[in-house]
Amino acid sequence: MPNRRPAALLSLAAGLVVIVGGTAGLLLTRHPAQALRPVAGVAGVAALPAPTGPIVAPPQSPEPRSVPRPVSLIIPLIGVNTQLITLGLTSGGALAVPPLSEASVAGWYTGSPRPGAIGSAIIVGHNDTTNGPAVFYRLPDLRHGDKVYVKRADGTLVEFRVTSVQTYVKDHFPTQTVYGPTPDAELRLITCDGTFDSATRHYLSNIVVYATEVS
Amino acid sequence: MKFPRIIRRLLMLLAASALLLGIPVAATAFATPGTTGTGWIRLAHLSPNTPAVDVYLYSFDNSNAKIVLHHVAYGTVSPYESATAGDYSVAMRAAGASPTSQPVLSTSVTIVAGHSYTVAGMGPESGLRLQVMDDDLTTPIGQSLVRVIQASLKQQKVSVSFGSTVLASSLAFASVSPYQAVLPGTKTVTVSAGTGDANSSVTLAAGTVHTLVVLDGATGLEVVNLEDASGSGKPPLGGVSTGFGGTAPRGPGSPVPWIAAIAAGSLLALTGGLALRRRQLNTGI
Repeated sequence: MPNRRPAALLSLAAGLVVIVGGTAGLLLTRHPAQALRPVAGVAGVAALPAPTGPIVAPPQSPEPRSVPRPVSLIIPLIGVNTQLITLGLTSGGALAVPPLSEASVAGWYTGSPRPGAIGSAIIVGHNDTTNGPAVFYRLPDLRHGDKVYVKRADGTLVEFRVTSVQTYVKDHFPTQTVYGPTPDAELRLITCDGTFDSATRHYLSNIVVYATEVS
Repeated sequence: MKFPRIIRRLLMLLAASALLLGIPVAATAFATPGTTGTGWIRLAHLSPNTPAVDVYLYSFDNSNAKIVLHHVAYGTVSPYESATAGDYSVAMRAAGASPTSQPVLSTSVTIVAGHSYTVAGMGPESGLRLQVMDDDLTTPIGQSLVRVIQASLKQQKVSVSFGSTVLASSLAFASVSPYQAVLPGTKTVTVSAGTGDANSSVTLAAGTVHTLVVLDGATGLEVVNLEDASGSGKPPLGGVSTGFGGTAPRGPGSPVPWIAAIAAGSLLALTGGLALRRRQLNTGI
């Protein structure tokens, strides 16, 4: 059977090539592709200057006071300067979010205290659109001590400092910690993070930036 | 029988692939829900016939005061200050007294992360004491939480109601009622005492915690409405659906096609290898 040898060799060689290719493919696809966000801090983002204007003092009296409504949010370190729209609840009782056409702006939940009044004010923004970054894309880059400003209808500014940044799986979202009462003037900035579930078209986690008003 | 070298190598390759397949994808660790390791404390002077005082807050391991409030008069309540969880002491000295002088009064307080406290000078001057109160930071959904501090010396006992809801009945001087959940709204707070009532309009919003302090006023009684804490009156359910996935990293995809390819390749190579081996045995090389 002299003519069988080349066929056997060919079969062996082709088999080995397929094994090597299959193994390489398997190994290369085990790690998800890197996200667009660079590893090192906020490189590549033009930081904004701190806003100018009268900065109001935190509540000095423990008696309730009314403060002007918030109109814009400025986070110099991550280049955020956006107007604030107002947000309510969905029919299901969850927090409403800005529509896709307004993914570049953030929104304040009108059922939460106004920024600068006693309590936990809630501001929400998208981390991305269907094809690129949105207003809160860089939120995970914030760290303890970073400054966040809210401008109010009367032109005054409230200055907050970040106290912590937490990631929560949405199935175990701590609503009391995030939305519950606080005894001082605080802010929570919320966006999505983690794995994107392509079946439900939703991210599986939320990132919450906690900040407290400073004088 | 000894396996030909080529087949041994194939088997080793398969074994190695199986090992690599078994490597678990690194689990993502999520931060545990959030205490930031700080609590809150506020200081108050609620002793009607005690002159103004200076109030000091010391951390347990530091003789330099963390907070000093000067010339605190009867009826004054400070805003909350955040403080790292741990042991503290509160000292009161006569207004203007040297910070190194012996305090008139002092007490210890342990601040637990995520909790808030009111430390108040209470009682008559002759029996002045510092009372530590645990302040509540949670409200039943859609309701407001309120308590009463009776700090009137003119009236030994008072009864307090919010609209038709009784908050405290015959509350003795220098005592505190427990917090009570009430339906939110703007209603009249009525303080009834032996020799006269006091009324004032008070708004208690859903998701807020309040303390009503009954004080001796210049004439009759006064009610001060303190906001102990505030949150969302209607807390949203669960997390927030932000993001449309445009920057999401692509998932790793299914490993099945690759494993099938490896299996098919192995079969092909094995067939070829065995055929070669048979031929070698037949020709006797």
